[in-house]
Amino acid sequence: VDLSLETRQENDHTIIEVGGEIDVYTAPKLRERITELVDEGHRKLIIDLEKVEFMDSTGLGVLVGGLKRVRTNEGSLELICTQERLLKIFRITGLGKVFAIHSSQAEATAQ
Amino acid sequence: MSVATQPQGGVRVAIARDPALVRTVRLVAAALARRSECPEPLIEEIRLAIGEACAVMIGLEEADQGSDEQIEIKIHTDGDFSATVTGRVGDDDGNFAEIGLDPWALLRGLCEDLTVDEDGAVTTVGLSWPR
Repeated sequence: VDLSLETRQENDHTIIEVGGEIDVYTAPKLRERITELVDEGHRKLIIDLEKVEFMDSTGLGVLVGGLKRVRTNEGSLELICTQERLLKIFRITGLGKVFAIHSSQAEATAQ
Repeated sequence: MSVATQPQGGVRVAIARDPALVRTVRLVAAALARRSECPEPLIEEIRLAIGEACAVMIGLEEADQGSDEQIEIKIHTDGDFSATVTGRVGDDDGNFAEIGLDPWALLRGLCEDLTVDEDGAVTTVGLSWPR
């Protein structure tokens, strides 16, 4: 499986559970899903990265683009991630300060 | 895609500018790192970094099936584990510029010794990891 995307609603949050690899080949699929959801009126997006095995900068770029899109619509895009190899990527690029990164869905939806 | 072994313990891979092929390059890089007995965390870093260099060059632009442009990856396993990735850098900066990052921001953190040389439209990225 290259990339899996499962979307579900929890109260007013829309959670996208991502699995597999987010790279230059698959990142457009994630970008499309985020765009669709924002266009459909979803404003509080949570991207769950717990099942992601690999991510490169094109994946990061899609998340940054998604954040920009939801903010334009007065929404939010937050992440769930506890995997050190992914957290390292956010740290290296300084994006750990740009995104709210939670350790669980319960924590992310508690706001 | 073409793969050739090089004298002095290296491999050269050339791929079309097709995003689907970057995963294959990552697999080759990881296999070579493993064969060179690099420790597991370093193998993961090498896999990510060499794939990342290809990804930055291709970007999220649509694959141009009609183009014969290629990205060439040379991996050397003698001495330090090192690689060069040569090709044209795509126009798509992946939203990085908007937040003040250059396209190589991730690579700089992944590789202890990164060089980026531009010669006209062709960019060569050099990566190496001391043993």
